[in-house]
Amino acid sequence: MEQVAILGVGMKRFGFYPDVHVNELARDAGLAALDDAGLSFADIDAVYAGHIFMQPMTAVRAVKELGLTGVPIQRIENASATGSAALREAYLAVAAGHYDKVLVLGLDKMTEVIGRTPAAPELEDAILPAAFFAMWATRRMHERGTKPEHLARIAAKNWNNGALNPMSQRQPKEKVTVEGVLKAGMVAWPLTKMMACPIGDGAAAAVVCRLETAKKLAKGRPIVRIAASHLGSEKYERGHLFMGPVVGPGRMSRDAAKAIYEQAGFGPEDIQLVQVHDAFAIEELEYYELLGFCREGEAEVCIERGDFELGGRVPFSTDGGLIARGHPGGPTGLAQIWETVLQLRGEAGKRQVPNARAGLCHMMGGGSVCVAHILVRD
Amino acid sequence: MTDAKPRVPVKPGYYTVPDDPNATPEVICSRCTECGEYFFPRRLVCAKCLSRKTEETRVPARGTLYSYTFVHIPLFGSTKIEYAEGYGVGQIDLPEGPRIQLPLAGKREQFRVGQQVRGEISVMREQEDKDVVILRFRPVEA
Repeated sequence: MEQVAILGVGMKRFGFYPDVHVNELARDAGLAALDDAGLSFADIDAVYAGHIFMQPMTAVRAVKELGLTGVPIQRIENASATGSAALREAYLAVAAGHYDKVLVLGLDKMTEVIGRTPAAPELEDAILPAAFFAMWATRRMHERGTKPEHLARIAAKNWNNGALNPMSQRQPKEKVTVEGVLKAGMVAWPLTKMMACPIGDGAAAAVVCRLETAKKLAKGRPIVRIAASHLGSEKYERGHLFMGPVVGPGRMSRDAAKAIYEQAGFGPEDIQLVQVHDAFAIEELEYYELLGFCREGEAEVCIERGDFELGGRVPFSTDGGLIARGHPGGPTGLAQIWETVLQLRGEAGKRQVPNARAGLCHMMGGGSVCVAHILVRD
Repeated sequence: MTDAKPRVPVKPGYYTVPDDPNATPEVICSRCTECGEYFFPRRLVCAKCLSRKTEETRVPARGTLYSYTFVHIPLFGSTKIEYAEGYGVGQIDLPEGPRIQLPLAGKREQFRVGQQVRGEISVMREQEDKDVVILRFRPVEA
């Protein structure tokens, strides 16, 4: 197996682009990643491109904006984990020796499909993602005494991290407070609007290649390597919800963490920053424990101590997370990669985590798959 | 409301709509004849032991509330004023094993983790020729 590096990353800031074609969003992110890698599209051996919401073939058409070189292009879709899954396909192909330089692209215009209602109501339409995650929170409050303030503190942290990231969709002008988050309108009790990610449009990209190639092209810049990659789905256990938007048993994230720590040869104690699927604040709270960054039942104490804030023990969602940086769909997982690569290179500006040597990226897809990566600076 | 109109589930195959409005509806499940596990909704292959020997079985709509929320948006597809302000949603553990996720009847303050709930058929949308109904659960008065 070849060792695999990330040579370049690029993003189009997530937000609302009513007058911009999705192909142009993809083009801007793709060109940014190529420029960051110091490559031309002619150097690219294969493309994995992902989107959730757009018409079939959108990804393949969008890639034409970068050039028509005859390169193999494969569309990947795995719900929220689409971008992460596309990165994993590129990783597998390079690791297996099939390709050297591969472009990974995520693109979506969620704003074009929200409001497009189905022809007939379904049984599942009553159960929105917000409701599902709210029930996670209710259960946690029942079992562990979690308070809405704990969730609000996570959300406020992510909003404020977003203010330090020029690529963040949400850019609060004033510091977001726990009180402010709690006072925002209720979506699904106990979750308020500010505890949830926004909808949006955007694109993100990465160039992966053999580690040896990255060493030749690095020009003195730190090299970021993919130390672990995992994709898993659910294992049946009693209490599984087969209908509605679900995030399967927490076990899926726990299993993913175990797998990537084994691959990387080290565990959470050697990881300095983490990005997770924080579509709702309760998720990030659960992932502190499921990914092994604190013991079961201790998340609330760690939140109160500020363990996961910038300057804390292990900062989470350093770029603002889904809650602030945004979650257009296909590109989201690659925004996590963009952030982690910048952090590991020491290029993350005001939100730089000191001495960042390893970062974890975790995404859930449709509640039914989990994709996780560990990136390291060698 | 006219009582003569037929009551039709929003989607068939998930629960029964008894003629007697006071009767407890039934949830349509599958049961594995090899390992005994119950599933909702119905499925052919047992998710626990992978046997294909499952059979349809109906169980009364009642159970224990595992978790709940109150969604502050109107119920999708509903014409009833009752749902305009939002609606409760719960995860209910049936005593046979399956956990199901469906709307709750009542206000958020009435819901409690661990309480007993019972299913009822409620009109979600009145049409000229029929009433479209849903199954929802209501806390059982202690």
